[in-house]
Parts: sequence; C-alpha cells; structure tokens
Amino acid sequence: MDKTIKIYLGGTLFNVTEEAYKLLKGYLQEINSILGNTPGAAETVEDIEMRIAEIFQSQGIMAGIISKENVENMISIIGKPSDFITNDEDKTTGEPYFSPSGNPKRLYRNPDDQIISGVAGGLGTFLNMDSVWVRILFILFACFFGIGFFVYIALWIALPMASGDAQKRDMYGTEGYRQYLSRSKGNTRPLQSSGYAASSRTGSDIGNAFNEIFRALGRVLFVIMRILLIITGISLVIAGFASLVSYILIFFFKFPGYFSTDAVGVKLFYLPDFLSYVVDPSMAPWIMALLSVVVILPLLALIYWGVRMIFWFRAKDGIISLVAIVIWVVSLAALSILLFSEGVGFAERSGKSYEKVIEKAPADLYIFAGKKVADLKYDKDITFDEEYTAFFDDDGENLYITSGFDISSSDDESLRIHVRKRSAGRSNSDAERKAGRLEYSYSVEGDTLSIDEYFSIPAGTKWSADEVNTDVLIPAGTRVHFDNTTLRMFRRQHFNESGWEWTDSDDDEYEGEEPENLVWIMTEDGLKELK
Amino acid sequence: MDLENTKAQMRKGILEYCILSVLSKNSCYASDIIRELKEAKVIVVEGTLYPLLTRQKNAGLLSYRWEESQQGPPRKYYELTDEGKTYLTELDRSWDELVESVNLIRTR
Repeated sequence: MDKTIKIYLGGTLFNVTEEAYKLLKGYLQEINSILGNTPGAAETVEDIEMRIAEIFQSQGIMAGIISKENVENMISIIGKPSDFITNDEDKTTGEPYFSPSGNPKRLYRNPDDQIISGVAGGLGTFLNMDSVWVRILFILFACFFGIGFFVYIALWIALPMASGDAQKRDMYGTEGYRQYLSRSKGNTRPLQSSGYAASSRTGSDIGNAFNEIFRALGRVLFVIMRILLIITGISLVIAGFASLVSYILIFFFKFPGYFSTDAVGVKLFYLPDFLSYVVDPSMAPWIMALLSVVVILPLLALIYWGVRMIFWFRAKDGIISLVAIVIWVVSLAALSILLFSEGVGFAERSGKSYEKVIEKAPADLYIFAGKKVADLKYDKDITFDEEYTAFFDDDGENLYITSGFDISSSDDESLRIHVRKRSAGRSNSDAERKAGRLEYSYSVEGDTLSIDEYFSIPAGTKWSADEVNTDVLIPAGTRVHFDNTTLRMFRRQHFNESGWEWTDSDDDEYEGEEPENLVWIMTEDGLKELK
Repeated sequence: MDLENTKAQMRKGILEYCILSVLSKNSCYASDIIRELKEAKVIVVEGTLYPLLTRQKNAGLLSYRWEESQQGPPRKYYELTDEGKTYLTELDRSWDELVESVNLIRTR
C-alpha cells in the first residue's frame, strides 16, 4: 500500500500518493521557476493551483487518493509549463504591466484572530506584527486614564469584521492571504520549496502563552458581557412592550385592564376625555396624536434596542434612527407649541385665602355637607389622588373637583375656618385670577358648619390644576358631629397616614359594615373618635 | 519551419483578444473562459490562459471578485473594466482591419 500525503491545494484538501506528490511538486516548481519574478507570478500560480484542484475533483478521484495517472492527466490538460509560458515574452511585455505588489492592505477586525472583537487581531495583521503585542499595548494604555479602553471601543464600533474571502484578502494583502490559506490547514505539508507555508508567523512562545491567557480572560469577559446585555435587553423589551401595550389598550381601546380605577388610583383611560377640559376640544385629538407619537416612539426604540442587545447584531439603522429622532423632536415641539397656544400654563401656582374667625367656638360643632358628589350628575371621573377626583361630562361643559378638608386644633378658644383656593397659571397674577373663579361655598350658623364636598369650575374656562382646601381649626375638647359625607371627606384627607381602605361608593350607605361613629373629639394629638 | 509552432504563435496573438471578447458578454470564472476557448479551438493547453489573465488584470483591463461556490472553494469571477471595454472596441476595429487586409492580400 502506497503511503499517501495530505496536501492543501487551491482551497481543498487532497490525499496524494508519494509518486503523484513528487510529480505534482516538480510540476509546480517548474511553473514557479519559469514565471520567476514576473509581476503577478504568485497570483498566476495560485490560479493554476485552483484549476488543478478543480480538475482533480472533476476526475472523481478513486478512493479519494490522487494517483500519478491523475497528475499526468491534469498536466496534459493544463500543459507543460514550457508550452504555455515563454520567458522572453513575459519579460518584454511584462514591463508596462508592472504594478506594485498587489493591492494595499485594509484594516478590518480579524475573525481568525479574535479574542473579544478581533480589533487587536486586525491591527496585528495590518501592521504585520503579532497581535499579542497589540493586546499588551491596549492593556498598557488602558491604564492611562482608560485611553486604551476607549480607543478599543471606538475601533470596535468603527471597523467592520472581515467576512468572506474578498475582505480577508484585502485584510491580509495578497501575499499574506496565501500564507493564511496555507496556515489555516495547519497539519499539511508545504507543497513548494519556496514554501509560503506556516513557519514565518508563529510568534514566540511567550507571545503564545500571553495569547492563551488573553483568550481565556477574553472569553470570560465576553460571556459575562453577553449575559449582562441579554438580561438588559430582555428587561428593555419587556418594559417597552408592556408600556406600549398598556398605552394602546388604555388610550385607544379604553380597556382599563390592570391599570383601571382604584388599583393605581387614576382612571387613566378617561384622560383623553379629560383633555377637553384642559384645551380646546377641537384640539384634543391633535394633542392625543402628538402625545402618542411622543410616548410611543421612545418605547419602540426601547424594544428595538432590547432586541439588538439580545441578538447582538449590527444593523444599518442610522437613517431610520435619524428619521425617528427627527419625528419625535418635531412632535414634541408641535405638542409644546399647541399647548402653549392653548394657553395652558402651569408655570406658577398661586391663589386666594379666606378666613372666618368665630371668637368663641361651640362645644359641639356639627359639620354637614352642602353640595354632595352623591347628588352630582356626571359621566366620567378621574381620581388623581385620594383627595383629588375630577368629575366631568362628555359634552365638555361642567367640571367638578373634590375639595380638601381637614380639621386640626387651634391654639386659642376660637373657631377658624380657613379656605384656600389655588390654581396654576402662566404668571402669579394669572394663577390668582384663575383661583378667583373657582365656585365653592361654606356657611356657619351657630354651631353648624356647612361645606361643599366639591368645587366647580365655571363652564367655558379650562382646568388648571385647581384646588380648594378647607381647614377647620377648633380648640381641644370640642366635639365634632359629622355626617357620612363630611366624615368621608375628612378620612380621605388622612387616607395615607391611617391606611384606611377608602371605597369609592356613590351612595352614603356602607353596606355590611358596622355603622360609622359620627362623633369625634378634638384632643391635643388631633381628632379622635369618641368612644 | 515548424507548422505547429507557427499555428501556436498565431493563436497566442489572438488569445488576449478572445479572452476579452468572452468576458465582454458576461463575467466568468477561469474554467468558463477555458471551456469557451476550447470549444472555439483557440487554446490547446489550459495553462496558457492564467498568465494572460493575470497580466490583463494588472494592466487594469480586468477586475475580479470572489464568489462563494456550492462545490469547493470560492471562485474568482473576472469581468471587464471600463478601460477593458474601450480596449476591446479598439481591438475589434483592428481585428476587422486585419481580416480585411489578409483577405485583400489573399484574393489579389
């Protein structure tokens, strides 16, 4: 049985017999020596090698081994070197064709010499030096204020990865590519005596050791980074998607889902309707549309970046991103202009205060509700805060808002009723003027105080974060008699501190619960239920 | 005089022209060019082609790109550059002139 030799020829691996190998080697050497130093000789040889490989493949080699006959057959097809190349011809006509040693090399990230991203490998290839030195330099410079690190990241972003043979060719240069091709099949023998196989670029042992260390470290770093990126990406996608879905469900399909009424405290899906009370109703759809763009675009971007982080791809998204950013900025600007021209100003808060003082407070104070929400006719309501609920109609005419109510102890014997009306406006005086229009009333007759549960904003004027608060100051020891409504108003005010569950029931009946104690007493520590 | 040698010399002279003509139709890789030239009986041994291709490429008449192939390693696909196209039209004209001249001499 003949000994066979593995050779790498024109990009393919072949087994050749000893005889065939000698013949083939001789043949290639002859071509090589005849071509000599004529320009492009290396390339011509390479082309011929590729053709030889093709011929071998087309001959359907028996048992995968190339015999002497195969080689002879091939030579008859391609011809003897002396038949197709004459030296003097190439020397005379070769002159004007001279071009300096192939194409210039180009800088790519090198996928064949990659630890993190192939930047160092690419630089090493470009500069004709062992990439291990490039890596050491990067690490050294990373110690100087992280310069190396930032340069590395910049190169990573800027340089493309060499993919495909054409780019690898550009990266290695013509000669380097030949070496790369031979080197990449490490265990094959150099076919030609001129030997552009292995050997020339193996680097030192120390370099190899360093490279191995870098490789291990790099892999660990890379895996950690990928995991972090994937986790971040997944959270971004989930967050973006959830927000997007809720936004669309709530505002377009008016499907409250989990975000309904009391769970968050705000009936968000009524916000678009409430908008009619903030701006001109004809403008409301425009504002909704612009607002949607302003909200949805960043959410989409969030999802997109999340997906990119998870799947880690490079995309030519520059133009799309730019367009999206422009649309977003324009929408935001349009929205601002629209709101501004609508006279919606919330820059300043101001208001008016009224105080009524009764020198001698009664021992028993009866606090009853005047106008009650229970008697109110409205279509929709939004609860912004426990003590701030807006009730309004579909026709955009009437708007009512609950007023705040609190009772605390006064430091003398007097009964004081303090009413504050506050609004937001473009300026202080604007806010003050707006506060003045709020319709709210209370009355004191003897030991009876009557207060409204809500205040109203007159038809034709817009909502500007108005609020009305009534503070009643009574001396300690005064007994307070509530009715159901006023007790509820008081409890609403203290919702957060007491942790009571406040139920938004429309009637005054508390079904199935023990009757409320309507009599309270003022103590040094505030109002307490009278046991 | 060696007849075969003279024939070979004549073929060699027109071979460059033939390569450019083949490539003027569409881009080919080396084996396509060889097949066409063999069918036209302008080459006998394939080896002749490769030095010529390299020279024409270096002269800027041809360019190539690498294309992956289903069987085997990537292939070099050659195509005419703009320079090659104008070069070819010049050759077309001088070929016509040459044929005319030869015919003129032969029929005289």
